[in-house]
Amino acid sequence: MFWILAALLTFVAAFAVLRPFAMRQAPTEDARAYDIEVYRDQLEEVDRDAKRGLIGQQEAEQARAEIGRRILQVSETADGRNEKRANRRVTRLTAAASVLAVPLVSWGLYVLTGSPDMPAQPLHARTAAEPADASIDELVARAETHLATNPDDARGWQVLAPVYMRLGRFADAQTALQNIMRLSGETSDMKAALGEAMVGAARGMVTAEAEEVFEQALDLDPREPKARFFLGLSRAQEGAAEEAQTIWRGMLENLPEASPWREAAQQAIAQSGGAGAADRGPTEDQVAAATDLSETDRQAMIEGMVKGLDEKLRQNPADLEGWRRLIRSYIVLQRPDAAKEALVRAVAAFGAETPETGELKEFAANLGVTIE
Amino acid sequence: MSIEFGHFALVLAFALALVQMTVPIIGAQFKNDTLMRVGEPAALTNFMLVALSFMALTSAYIQSDFSVLNVWENSHSAKPLLYKITGTWGNHEGSMLLWVLILVFFGALVAVFGRNLPLSLRANVLGVQGAISCAFMIFILATSNPFARLDPAPMEGRDLNPILQDIGLAVHPPLLYLGYVGFSVAFSFAIAALIEGRLDAAWARWVRPWTLAAWMFLTGGIAMGSYWAYYELGWGGFWFWDPVENASLLPWLGGTALLHSALVMEKRSALKIWTVLLAILTFSLSLLGTFLVRSGVLTSVHAFATDPARGVFILGILVLFIGGSLALFAWRAATLTPGGLFQPISREGALVLNNLVLTTATATVLIGTLYPLLVEAVTGDKISVGAPFFNLTFGPLILPLLVIVPFGPLLAWKRGDIWAVSQRLFWAFGAALVVALLAFVMVDGASVLAALGIGLGVWLVLGALTDLVVKSGFGKAAPSVVFSRFKGLPRSVFGTALAHAGIGLTTIGIISVTTLETERIAAMQPGETVEIEGYNLRFDSLRPFTGPNFTEDQATFVLSRVTGKSLGEVVSSKRLYTARQMPTTEAGIRTLGLSQLYVSLGDQTPNGKIVVRIWWKPMVTLIWLGSLVMMVGGTVSLLDRRLRVGAPMPRRKPAVQGGVA
Repeated sequence: MFWILAALLTFVAAFAVLRPFAMRQAPTEDARAYDIEVYRDQLEEVDRDAKRGLIGQQEAEQARAEIGRRILQVSETADGRNEKRANRRVTRLTAAASVLAVPLVSWGLYVLTGSPDMPAQPLHARTAAEPADASIDELVARAETHLATNPDDARGWQVLAPVYMRLGRFADAQTALQNIMRLSGETSDMKAALGEAMVGAARGMVTAEAEEVFEQALDLDPREPKARFFLGLSRAQEGAAEEAQTIWRGMLENLPEASPWREAAQQAIAQSGGAGAADRGPTEDQVAAATDLSETDRQAMIEGMVKGLDEKLRQNPADLEGWRRLIRSYIVLQRPDAAKEALVRAVAAFGAETPETGELKEFAANLGVTIE
Repeated sequence: MSIEFGHFALVLAFALALVQMTVPIIGAQFKNDTLMRVGEPAALTNFMLVALSFMALTSAYIQSDFSVLNVWENSHSAKPLLYKITGTWGNHEGSMLLWVLILVFFGALVAVFGRNLPLSLRANVLGVQGAISCAFMIFILATSNPFARLDPAPMEGRDLNPILQDIGLAVHPPLLYLGYVGFSVAFSFAIAALIEGRLDAAWARWVRPWTLAAWMFLTGGIAMGSYWAYYELGWGGFWFWDPVENASLLPWLGGTALLHSALVMEKRSALKIWTVLLAILTFSLSLLGTFLVRSGVLTSVHAFATDPARGVFILGILVLFIGGSLALFAWRAATLTPGGLFQPISREGALVLNNLVLTTATATVLIGTLYPLLVEAVTGDKISVGAPFFNLTFGPLILPLLVIVPFGPLLAWKRGDIWAVSQRLFWAFGAALVVALLAFVMVDGASVLAALGIGLGVWLVLGALTDLVVKSGFGKAAPSVVFSRFKGLPRSVFGTALAHAGIGLTTIGIISVTTLETERIAAMQPGETVEIEGYNLRFDSLRPFTGPNFTEDQATFVLSRVTGKSLGEVVSSKRLYTARQMPTTEAGIRTLGLSQLYVSLGDQTPNGKIVVRIWWKPMVTLIWLGSLVMMVGGTVSLLDRRLRVGAPMPRRKPAVQGGVA
């Protein structure tokens, strides 16, 4: 179909070029005749202007004389057209060349640049197509279109939220979860899911906001396992391994035997034996990897993370929370000298008398690190 | 499929443009009528093909076909229909296609209306038009193809830049391009004359209306762009001397000069070579403007454009056309014969002065625009030549020109009497002086400049009216005669008067807003009131609002006079376009007479108040009303009967031969 239309269009274009060749045309006027016509028109204009009084009689006379002179001048020049008559062969050759050029250039170029086999895909038609053939992206898009017009459809959001989580679209998941809670009230599991989405958006880091959400989930249901698990993870990421373990152990006590969270909590307890501190806290992948490691390898991995954090603070020393984590990490790794050195660097970065320095010094003193 | 069909139509148009570029010009060289005639159907078909192609792209935008890369990059399914359509040219690729569409549109117009032109002139003009189309079509196909596809197609687009989601985008670029590209006709005529080595009498008659039309559109385009920036950017500036704006001002100045010199050429056959040169320069400035905007050498308030590889390509086109045409000019200009003579004090003399000043002003703006680019290219330093430079150079050049504008139309051709003209303008001058004095007294003598500027504007308006009064013989003849003469005046006289009066109105607007504007900045919370220039503005409420593809905080203000009379609400808001997470300000504007109150929201302060900026912009609307009056003047002038006569002869000759007369 496309090629038929294209051929048709090409034919029209070629015909447009050919038409003058095919038609017998009356011989055209000499260019001088056009000039004289213009001058004649100018003379009429002068008459009109003179009649209206726009120009004086004398001026009009002068103008007429001037135009008259121009007419004479044109008449005296030689006819510019008499020398060469149209050469038939040149005409035919040019006709053939240009008629050939139109399809050759256009089809050649189009084959190079076009995508003739690709159909148009208007959005409307795509969303109306059979769901069975649709990709997950299309299904999501369809649900989104539906929810854009019916934002109060709680069921729609409930379907979409876990899909977003699985696709890693954490920001959208948060919106969906917030909508669910707006429409059908806050529940502990929705709150916990919202917190999980926030952790996902922060790439595995339990942020302060996420922590707050998990706390709210626990306010609704103190046994909510997901919230407890992540609160434990939060402690672990801060380096407070023991607190983390306490939380996870408490969780295990309350969890029913069949709960999928048992295993997660047990694993977490197993890993957290001293593995507390790192750059932004270990991500889930890293934690998963750490379970498969031997004790020495695990130590090496942790030291690698701490080294990374150390490097980062050399680049960007204005990170109070980072310094806290670094100092605590060195204490956990039982390297008090390194911790002291880190504190000295931090003080140099923030300045001796700043509130940050005061805070850090106090924090370090609690861990047993002091400097002059 | 329709999108591929559009792609194919564009490629076919390119092939056809190759034919249009070569065959008619060869025909004109060999004096072969048949070959020369190819230009006409080629130009018409070309227009049809590019129109098809443009329609295909537009329909892809309307249907949100995200399998088209360009649509995906610049559209969003939630966008209102109007912005889906205007989004077609709200990006580099689409706007270049619009550029070419308008170019072939003008080519088709020449083909349709050019039947009364000498055949060889028509062939050469269409040939040059074909060459320009060719260059830009291959540019589009090679570097900025709007028909590039995306597989698999995403489900949602990236949305159009929010600043461009405005009715301004529907009007500003098409008008601007009609202006830019309209000058290509004058350019083609100039090149055709140089190729042929002769200037037909019809030349000036033809160049003038085309220039006039292009000038009109460009005036509208610039004015619209200025108003758009004024209300959209949130602080009420109407002209920034931004390089992109200068790029449109340059051809406007050149085109204004061309308009006036073509007038001399038409009436008196003088200034021929100069007019040809101006026609070349004006379109060259249009091309330069296209280069500056489209190549990405600038980054500015005009947020769309840019790719360095494209820049080199357009630069090539620029060098080819400007360099080529100037070389042709240097080589062939001597073959054109100079025309009539005139005294320095005459209509011609005044128009020459106008041309001198306008071209100097053009050069000034050109230097101010290009100098920073050159410095950056050579030394790597980014400098900016801002308003101070232009105020110091462009202002002193253009203000004296404005002072002498009313004299021009009153002077006689060939030999004028400056003293007599001065006497006729006495009343206009006196009235302008009185207005200036009044303005001076009323604003407490705060600004001499404001008073003088407003006086200048009034002088221009009244000077233009004087021309009409004098030409209809007021005071010399009976009232009924005066009335009939007034009615019988050629349209072009009205056109001139309107255009000059429009300049005067714009001058008043610019001067008064730049010298008399007042501003209040206040941190407000609902219930608080600010007083400005005799008005009370009470902050009523701040409410969230959700639009189709944005969310906003809408602040409602209640406006009243100090005396207590209520004037209704003013709504100003801060928007966030969700797809791009891009904030914009939507100013609240209330027009009071010719002046405007402009309310714009700033940031929230820590204590819960919101920063509100309020400007009083006295007579600001005159800036754009003046441009409208100029456009009306252009239209009236285009309707002049004289421009429609062009010598349709082939019918006459057989009649004479047949002895019917």
